[in-house]
Amino acid sequence: MKLYFKALGLHLKSELEYRASFIISFLSQILVFFSYYFIIIALFSKFSNIKGFTMYEVLLCFSIIQFGFAFNEVFARGIDKFDKLIIDGGFDRLLLRPKNIILQVLCNESDFIKVSRLIQALIVLVIAVIHLNISWNIFRVICLILMLCSSIAIFFGIFLLAASYCFLTVQGLEVRNVFTDGGKHMAQYPIGVFKKGFVYFFTIIIPYGFVNYYPLMYFVGKNNSCLYSFSPIVVFVYLIPCILVFYAGIKKYSSVGS
Amino acid sequence: MSFIEVKQISKTFRLVKKKSGLKEAFKSFFKRDYFYVNAVNDISFSIDKGEIVGYIGPNGAGKSTTIKILSGILVPDSGDCKVDGITPWKQRKEYVKKIGVVFGQRSQLWWDIPAEDTFDLLKDIYDIPEKEYQDTKRELIEKLNLADIINIPVRQLSLGQRMRCEIAASLLHNPEILFLDEPTIGLDAVSKQLVRDFIKRLNKEKHTTIILTSHDMADITSLAKRIILIGKGQVLYDGSLRTLKNQYETNRLIHIKTKDKITIRNKGILNKIKAKDGYDILLNTKELSISEFLNRISRNVIIEDIDIENESIDQIIVKLYEDYQI
Repeated sequence: MKLYFKALGLHLKSELEYRASFIISFLSQILVFFSYYFIIIALFSKFSNIKGFTMYEVLLCFSIIQFGFAFNEVFARGIDKFDKLIIDGGFDRLLLRPKNIILQVLCNESDFIKVSRLIQALIVLVIAVIHLNISWNIFRVICLILMLCSSIAIFFGIFLLAASYCFLTVQGLEVRNVFTDGGKHMAQYPIGVFKKGFVYFFTIIIPYGFVNYYPLMYFVGKNNSCLYSFSPIVVFVYLIPCILVFYAGIKKYSSVGS
Repeated sequence: MSFIEVKQISKTFRLVKKKSGLKEAFKSFFKRDYFYVNAVNDISFSIDKGEIVGYIGPNGAGKSTTIKILSGILVPDSGDCKVDGITPWKQRKEYVKKIGVVFGQRSQLWWDIPAEDTFDLLKDIYDIPEKEYQDTKRELIEKLNLADIINIPVRQLSLGQRMRCEIAASLLHNPEILFLDEPTIGLDAVSKQLVRDFIKRLNKEKHTTIILTSHDMADITSLAKRIILIGKGQVLYDGSLRTLKNQYETNRLIHIKTKDKITIRNKGILNKIKAKDGYDILLNTKELSISEFLNRISRNVIIEDIDIENESIDQIIVKLYEDYQI
């Protein structure tokens, strides 16, 4: 862990080497992502609700997904950019070092510009929660924390799966976008607003539903079973096969080579 | 048992047959033809502790594959390999602490920050104790002359400076074995010399076993006493460089500057050309040794200047490749 933070510090140092570029990118990220939130606000100025979900509920949903995604882009960028590592041969280098491979991949890259999105997501989250008139209890607090954690976990898992895919074809990136970007855009809204098929897909195949839909139902009081507040735990279980698949990929790599 | 013991390793890669043209590219998109390449085929050798071995062969001979297997990145299809009792690809974490690898063509240093920061990170990666780390670092800085360049972002360093930092980075954890994959590629004469001197010294002082691949034969001649020649995935020659030289280096070209006429005739003189200010003579040293030759001509010729051309090791290698048809 100490190693990871040290690497993180060095990444920050590298990025600060290019000061102007860093500031401009940071600001432009803020602008781009505010436009996403504006779309939702614009949408709700026309319709008061979508299938019973109010604006702040959707914003909450949205910000949780954005939070998890941005978190991984900042802190797990190496896995997101894993294809690069395979192509330029940097992965061989990692295999030559006496530390856990996933940890090393994490150390390998990070993207501090995306911190702007992380902060943004948190601000929107706070605003949404304030406006929602939550009747707070201990389960709701746990529920919110679990939602945030599971959002981080699910993108971590999906990034890992996408990275494992690189072992097979080296470069086949569009498929993964279906799950990351595509999935992200779906899951920004409460998946209940979509057709049944989508709901099943994003509950069973990729458990986005457990990140924000089911817990959200409990959180805003649409469902009173506190079982729902613990549903994000499913996502952590989902991580296990993701990690196993990644290790299987490494094994294949070392028998096939670049 | 030797320090490094490689027994009959083989490795085959499956590659997709690619033909030129867009049409063919489409075809292969749907139906792929594979072909198999024996990257290395039944290779065995053993290396003792403290040896420097030059590992040479033409491009695509299987050099990198062997290095990758020896460093534990690749698993061979068959055969066995033991280094100090450890199988490289089985006990990865334990094994890699013993080795250092320098890839001449790939950098392990962080591009935008000074090399010293990368060193600090490596300290944590290898769990090097603070004192040992400081000592090793100081020693490397001194020997590789890094004091002035260690605090400059790597991207601003020249190739030679960067290579010195690369080598230092690979040695921070005091490995017992050092793999050098073309360590002098693209360097100028001074940097090359510095790198070679350092490697020699390292081997002498710390008994580090060094396996070196290079296409620059000057690297090999100045460093390695023993070479392993590999071609088409097989070991073609394994032995001392000197034996190889004696075996192949029989013809020497001698330039003699003189105003007199040389009339000597001997079976050993293969060719005699009159040049502008003297003669170029090609001598077969097995028939007539150089000293005998000089002895004879100096009796009746005043030699103003003499230049004996060494048949370069490059030429020897070309001959060798031709002989083995690789």
